[in-house]
Amino acid sequence: MAALLENHRRYDLRDELEKALNRVDFFRIFHTMALRFGFSHFGILQLGSENDACMLSSRLALHDLPSGLAEEYDKRHRFGDSQFYKTLHRSAISSVWRAEDPGCDTGQNLLVQLGFELLVSVPVHAAATGARYAVLFLGDGEDIGRAEHVGLAYDAICAFDYFYRVGLANKAGLGLTPRETEILKWISHGKTASEIALIVSVSEHTVNSHTATILKKLDVVNRTQMVAKAIREQIIQ
Amino acid sequence: MTRKAHILLVDDDPAENLILRALIRKVSNVDIQLHYCQTMEGALAFLSSGQPVSMILLDNRLKPQVDFRETVPALRLHGYIGPIGVISASLAEPYFQKLEEYGADFRIDKAEIDPTAIDFILREYLPRE
Repeated sequence: MAALLENHRRYDLRDELEKALNRVDFFRIFHTMALRFGFSHFGILQLGSENDACMLSSRLALHDLPSGLAEEYDKRHRFGDSQFYKTLHRSAISSVWRAEDPGCDTGQNLLVQLGFELLVSVPVHAAATGARYAVLFLGDGEDIGRAEHVGLAYDAICAFDYFYRVGLANKAGLGLTPRETEILKWISHGKTASEIALIVSVSEHTVNSHTATILKKLDVVNRTQMVAKAIREQIIQ
Repeated sequence: MTRKAHILLVDDDPAENLILRALIRKVSNVDIQLHYCQTMEGALAFLSSGQPVSMILLDNRLKPQVDFRETVPALRLHGYIGPIGVISASLAEPYFQKLEEYGADFRIDKAEIDPTAIDFILREYLPRE
């Protein structure tokens, strides 16, 4: 990952963001951020077209909501109908929502539907593609003051920038790491993920994660095409 | 439907077992069985017993081993291919950047382990049923 210039001010988060390796590290960063500002949970929401029929659970790229909450929400409500979702397409200004906000009937009130009192939404985007996301912070506080809101929004923008580049960006065309090349070689020998995990001394989860990255980097859709392309491009013999 | 998970905690401080056990009680949606070993020898013996282990949470510094750079490869060499998380109070040490090279999956600070963190980690690493 290309290092940022010091001009990109990341303040207190700089060291931790520079060290973040995987989704758990980003969970740690966002979860701690949420707690620091008095919230209990966070979610990173991918925005699509306003008129897409969308489900909350499928739009969350990373979150720490209780297991099953987003799925239960989707069974009962339509996220695309919520006033909150519609507003995300109207403005990129950070917004603060309270469960008792006037002028929003219960059928459209995301906070009431999810069972929280306060939501701060920080719209963000990927520098490379312009893809839009929003970092959400949920809790039971009454409101958030200006200084905290501005601080939280800035920290969320910084952390999302790293999360996107490390975890979400399309890495097509990037070179494989030695570990990825090694896993690719074993895949080409017909080994399963669990067999490769034993051979390479990592977890099966790590093998699957590397395999997903190799698919992205080679811009292919399955293991067969992956091996064919790797041989064609002489990444493996 | 409640999922099941078997977590093996390896930590030389028995107090950590009590703390984690209390936190785990607050995690809903997953039926967690916590197993505890005080040493690497105990952990390797537990793995050999054939009991299911969905995830290992490993204290970074377990005497007589130096840190995870010795303990995680030993668990892998034993044939364990489930997720391993390293627990430490000093994640800023530079060698933690090589976590994945040594076969570990993730790191977490002792102070960061709460029911939300446990729920998140299980969701990330446990196979969907």
